[in-house]
Formats: sequence, C-alpha cells, structure tokens
Amino acid sequence: MSAISRPHLLVLPGLALLAFIYAWPIVGLLRTAFNEIGPTGAMVEAWSLQTSREVFSDLFTYELTLNSLRLSLSATAIALALAYPVALFLFRTQSRFRGVLAVIAVMPMLVSGVVRVFGWLAILGDRGLINTLAQSLGITGSPVRLVYNWTGVTIGLAESIMPYMILALLAGFGRLDRTLEEAARSLGASPLRAFLRVTLPLSLPAVTLACGLGFVLSMSAYITPRLLGGGKVFVLATEIFEQATTNTNWPTAAVLAIYMLALLGVLAAIAPAAGRRNKA
Amino acid sequence: MSYLELSALTKRYRETVAVDRASLTVEQGESVALLGPSGCGKTTTLRMLAGLVAPDEGSVSVAGVDVTRLPAHRRNMGYVFQSYALFPHLNVLRNIGFGLEERGFKRAEVRRRVDEALTLVRLGGLEQRRPRELSGGQQQRVALARALVILPSVLLLDESLSNLDAKLRDTMRQEIRSIQRKLGITTLMVTHDQVEALVMCDRVAVMNAGRILQVGTPVEIYESPGTRFVAGFVGRANWLAAKRSESGRVSVWGTELPIDAPRGQHLELFVRPQRIRLVAVSEPTGGDVARLTGRIARSVFVGDYVETVVQGADGELTVETPSGQPSLHDGSEVAAVWRVGDMRVFARDTT
Amino acid sequence: MSGAGPALSILAGIVYAVILAPIIVVVTLAFSVDNYIVFPPSGFSPRWFAQLASNAPLLAALRLSITIATAVAVLSLAIGVPAALALSKARFRGRETVRAIFLAPLLLPTLITGLALLTFFTPLHLTATIAGLALGHMTITLPFVVRMMTTALATLPPDIEAAAATLGASPWRVIRRVTLPLAAPGLIACTALSFLLSFDETVISLFVAGPRAATLPVEMVRYVESRTDPLIAALSTALIAGSLIVVVLVERLVGFARAVQA
Repeated sequence: MSAISRPHLLVLPGLALLAFIYAWPIVGLLRTAFNEIGPTGAMVEAWSLQTSREVFSDLFTYELTLNSLRLSLSATAIALALAYPVALFLFRTQSRFRGVLAVIAVMPMLVSGVVRVFGWLAILGDRGLINTLAQSLGITGSPVRLVYNWTGVTIGLAESIMPYMILALLAGFGRLDRTLEEAARSLGASPLRAFLRVTLPLSLPAVTLACGLGFVLSMSAYITPRLLGGGKVFVLATEIFEQATTNTNWPTAAVLAIYMLALLGVLAAIAPAAGRRNKA
Repeated sequence: MSYLELSALTKRYRETVAVDRASLTVEQGESVALLGPSGCGKTTTLRMLAGLVAPDEGSVSVAGVDVTRLPAHRRNMGYVFQSYALFPHLNVLRNIGFGLEERGFKRAEVRRRVDEALTLVRLGGLEQRRPRELSGGQQQRVALARALVILPSVLLLDESLSNLDAKLRDTMRQEIRSIQRKLGITTLMVTHDQVEALVMCDRVAVMNAGRILQVGTPVEIYESPGTRFVAGFVGRANWLAAKRSESGRVSVWGTELPIDAPRGQHLELFVRPQRIRLVAVSEPTGGDVARLTGRIARSVFVGDYVETVVQGADGELTVETPSGQPSLHDGSEVAAVWRVGDMRVFARDTT
Repeated sequence: MSGAGPALSILAGIVYAVILAPIIVVVTLAFSVDNYIVFPPSGFSPRWFAQLASNAPLLAALRLSITIATAVAVLSLAIGVPAALALSKARFRGRETVRAIFLAPLLLPTLITGLALLTFFTPLHLTATIAGLALGHMTITLPFVVRMMTTALATLPPDIEAAAATLGASPWRVIRRVTLPLAAPGLIACTALSFLLSFDETVISLFVAGPRAATLPVEMVRYVESRTDPLIAALSTALIAGSLIVVVLVERLVGFARAVQA
C-alpha cells in the first residue's frame, strides 16, 4: 500500500543536493583533466591531452603506482591476518559480552584518523612504547626507526582498515553453516583439521571481499601516509593532494585521480571474479 | 439490496490475474467465508474490500453506498490481520483505543469503550501490557477487540486463526462466532481451513485461481458441490474414472450406475468415503442405490473410524466406517453401496 | 558449536590489544609530564588539559566543528528521512535508480570527492566557509542517513500501517502515529552517526578548509605536523570520551548494536 501520493517531491531535495555537491563536481573533475597549466602557472581551459601525456610519461607516476600497490598489499595482508581471528572469534563465541566485544572491535572507526595516527606515533616512535620496551629488555641498543617511513605507514594503515575488514568478514561468516564443522568433527577430524578443511575454504568468498575492501581503502588512504610518513612516503594519494593544494596544479591532480579510480575499478572487476573462482 | 456488495472485482499483477471478476453479496449480520487454497486471491479480494488494494475493475458498496474510490481510512471497516499487526510501541489500551482516538473520542470515553471491548473478548486487566508481553491467543483477542471497538460496518478477518495451535483455534472459533452473533455484525472472513469456514459462517464462497466458484450454506457446499474443485476441496472424496455407457449412463469398473453421464470427455465419479456402506456380495440392495463390487485390499483402524480400501476392476475406493462394527477380512469380496443422491459426476475439462 | 575455544580466544585477545593499543596509549599520554612524545611517560600531570583550554586555534576549530556537525546532522535528517520514506513505502518508476543514486557517493574515496569539491567550490568562493564544509560533509552523511533509514523503515512489522489506516488514520496520521515513532531508534542513531561522521571528517575538510576556517581534525593535522608535544593526546582523550558518551547514550536510548545493523 502506498501511503505516499507524491514520492517524487520527497526525494527531489536530496537528489538536487547530491547533483549539486556530488555529481556536478565529479563531472567537473573529469573536465579538469583536460585542462592545462599555462606558462604563468595558472590553469588554462582547454580540451587537450597534454597534461595526461605529461603524467603518464613521467616515471614518477609509475613509482607512485608501485608504492601504492605495495603498501596496499602489505597493509591488507597484515590486516587480514589480524581481522580473521577476531571475526571468527566473534562469530563463534557464546559469551554474553558478544555485543560489547563486537563494538570494541570496530571502535577505531569512531575515533578520527588523526587520533589513531598520533597513537601510533607514540607506540612506534623513537621514544615510544616499542622502542622503550626493546631497549629496556636489551633487544636493541639504539632506537629502531619505525615511524616516518614505510614501516610505520604500513602498520598504521593496517590497523585503520581492520575494522572494515572485520565487518566484511562477519557479514560473510554469517552465511556459513555452523553445523558443517561439527559434521566434520563427527567424521573424525580434529578441531584444527575441521577448520582447515571446512570452515576456511567456505569462508574464502568473504575473505576475498574483505581483502578487496581493504585494498581499495588502502589505495585511497591519505591521512596515514601523510602523517606517519613524515613527508618521506610517496603514494598516489599524497601526490594528488600535493598537486592540488601546494602546486595548485588541478589538471595533474585530476588526471592522477582518474588514474587512481581506473586502478580501483580494475580491482573491483577482478575481486568478484576471484571470489567466484574460490567458491568453485 | 444486500448490505455488502462486491461486483466483478478484478485485480491484475503484471501478467497474472489475481482476482477475476469476483462477485458476492452479504446480508447484514451475516457471516461469510472466502474459502480457498493459498494464492487463490481471497486475501487480495479482502484487501480490495478494505481499500488497502485498488481494484482494476469492479466495485464495492456498503449499505447501498459505492465505496470503491474511498480510501481505507474512511471506510470504517474492522480488519483483523493474519499477523495481528498490533502496534509494538503502544500498550493494549492504546492499541485498542487507536481507532477511537482517531475519531476524536475523549480519554475517559476511550477508556470506557476499551474496557467494554476487553470484557467482550475476555481479556480484562491487561490494559497496560505491551504486545510482546502477550501470548499468541491474547494478541489475537486484542486485534479483534481493536477492530470491533470502532463499531465498524463490516468485520474482516484475514486468516486470523492460522497462527494459533489447534486447541486454541477450536476455542477461538467458538468465541469469535458467538461474538459475531451477539453483535450481529456483518463479517467476511478469509481462510484456507474448511472446518473454520463451515463452523463459523452462515455461507461459504469457494475460490480458486481468482474466481469465486460457488457460494452456498455449509451444507450446500458439502452436499451439492457445483464444480470438481469444490467437491475435492471440502471434505474427503473418492474420485473414480468413469466412462459413458451406451445408454447414456455412467459406467465405473465395468458396472453401469444409475446416474446420467454429462457431456464432456474425461468423466470422474465423486462419492464421499463416509457415505459408502460395505455389505456382503450376496446381500440384496434396493433400486435407489449405486453398487460396486470389489475385494478388500486393506483395513486401517484410525481411532474414530476404520478406513477400508476396496480394490475394484479399475481402481480403488476408500470407505470410512465408524469403528466398533464387525471387521471384514482382507481379500474377501464385498459390495460398496451408497445412495444415488450422494454421488456426482464431473467432466474433467470443467473447473 | 561449542563456542570459540581457548586458542582462538587468545589470538583474538592479542588482536584486541593491537586494536586498543593506540587509544590506550593516547589516553595515557594525555596525562604525561614530558614535553615530547615519550612512552611510557616519566610522570603524570594534567597540564596539557590546562594548555588546551588556552589554545585559541584549537578551541576555535572545536567550536567550528561542533557548529558544522550540528548543521550537517539536522540537514541530513531533514533531507534524508523524507527520501527514505519515499524509497521504502512508495512504489514508483525509477525507484531502484534513485536508491542507487543516493548510495553512489559512498562508492568513491573521500580523496576524490575532496578534490572534486575543491575545484568546484573555489570559483564559487565556497572554500574555507562553513557552508562549503557542511556541504562537503553531507556528501557522506546524506547517503548514510538514506541507507540507514530505508533499512529501518523496511524492517517495521508487516501490515502495521495498513492496520492504522483501517482504523481511520489518514496517510499523514499513519506516519505521525505509527511509522515515525517506530522509526525513532533509527532516527536517533542516524543523528548521532551524522554528527560524529561530520565531526571526525578529515580528508574532504583538508581540501575545502582554509587558514581561518578549519575544522578540528584539520587543525589537529596541522598541529601534529608542526609540533611534537602531547597536547593532541589530551585533546584526543577529550574527543574519545565525547564519542563514547554519545555512543553509550544512543545505546541506552536505542540499542546501538541493533541500529548499526543497517
């Protein structure tokens, strides 16, 4: 039954707003990619591929691409290794604190990126938790550089994408039939074997999705590479921001942004296909 | 002119016709059932009556007034949903009083009428409870009270007993029927349960595939089914393949029976298991009966009755006899006998 | 299934430690006596909280963030709830397309959105303004509200609104007396979520903000890059406490876990 006689009136404001603050600007961004930077350094309206040519003939672009891909792969792998046990634990546990534990697992999402990065600075810094611990235990003599480099960024990034992956995994686990592992156990498999032979393979589609999500989030992450990288970590995201603000070179930033979207698009196309193969 | 008139109501969804020119009249104070299997269009018909679904064709009128274009909230019909649809955020008092509040009654008056309604459904004292604190049977009574307290012109019940367990269903059938009689309220109920329809209603309309096939009193529907579907849907039935004999009569198992064969290709003989008597082959039977001979294939004791299957030349006949009578041996020859008026012949190409 | 088992529980516990470590460290650091980021701190003192109270740029940014977050929450609900009502209740042509359009902004990274808004707002002189920042945040909060409320409205018990109609409530009365009260938990959760999303939003704000119109996250990024003292830890602790209070309040009023299922 439709209690609403004119639904179009109700959705119109929202659609209009999104057209204004989202659709039109994105179209504008695509348009900007065809502009150039003139001799004075100001942007010149044009319909040219000059900027694109410059960007894609620059080796730095490909160095950035490799950096972004490597960083995203490492961060996603680490995050998966951490997220999977937690998701599995939450799925299986019958403790009455299950709800609270679930909220705690995703609590980092409630805390802004800057705060978390600052926490990692305090943990990984030269005089932070890890170094102080290592030195007092005699493992190293002098502080180990864990921040303002790729290591710090990888660790911080992994931790920031983890909550999203936990949620994605939980959603996938929810579709698992719990009794299948019990069936395996009744047929003689030890708990570990039952897990490896039944649960793990069945959870692979969820794992693929979670990894896809983590990868996409890592590729486009900005705050963590900027703050934990200390100006020494260069990825596509940091370059886009740099070009757009410091250099006010919008055309280049736009080309790089579209390039990044294309990369993410390719990933989005591969992930479901990989997931389907895993299901077979 | 009847109190409630449904005229050629039709509803289509994409390619399917959910309700096909359904027509029905209900007198004031009468209780009528829309009986049929799931998906036959009975609930859709009820919802069109209530104004919850707009018909593509046809009309609805109450007391002579055409209400087809009237929106649901102005039809003053009490609807009891299958899921009860009690408002979870309101207690029993405010649930039942909802319709009264919409009509602008003051709080004291609402309270008075709700109390009356609660007494009627025998739920006094539960005003402050929330729906989730009530049992299924209690929720059902609240739903009923809520629909009745607004003094509707028509009471509509949508499979409202199907979520209750068997025992409760029995009790509620009687209660609802007595409330309906006491208030003299015109009632239309939708159900797939033939016992419900037969027990609770003055007349029954049997529906299938969107069409109303037959309307009649419970006895008429049971004894004189007009179509093959109605015969098979209400009560238990035997179906025997039949042929047309040379003299135009019906022939089953090679035996000619005293009933004329209708026009049509595939004929089927219909007779209820409880109307058949089993006698020794040698015993004579009068002229006003049908008689088939066969052998007893098996006999099962089902408590209240004994179910016997008689194997004939070209099929089986199921017979139900009250238990306690002398039993017949498996394999013995026997004659199955029933009154001519208890059987019917249907041609398979009609519904 | 007999539960999680000791091995898995220990593994999960270790990961929980990793998840909570940054937050615990930050809160501890907030009370540090040192002038630099030293962990563990050599001593404890509340001096950084006192310093916070006298840090003008941060306080200004805090006020701005609260203002913007409030405006964003109110506007997102005002625009998003009617849209959600239409999407979940009415059947009209193009409904699925409209639904997809409303969810589209969540598909692109905020980095891209921020860049697009920078290029779009600059000629309109909307950068470094409250309006610009609020609009930028709404690219995230509006889709969220529409999605959450559409789910919340769709999970109402069946036939409830039909029942109200048969009892005499006009369509508007049905919404007022039945739909909205039952959707109240979702509404509360949406308000809190919109507020927090806007308050913490960093990337788009970095693009759209200016030297004198900076939200708190932007100001914090600037501070972390220029100084190395634990002041941010004190601020972060206050923010974490604030977020926790909001979450607990919503949980109390509504059942956060249930609302988040959207």
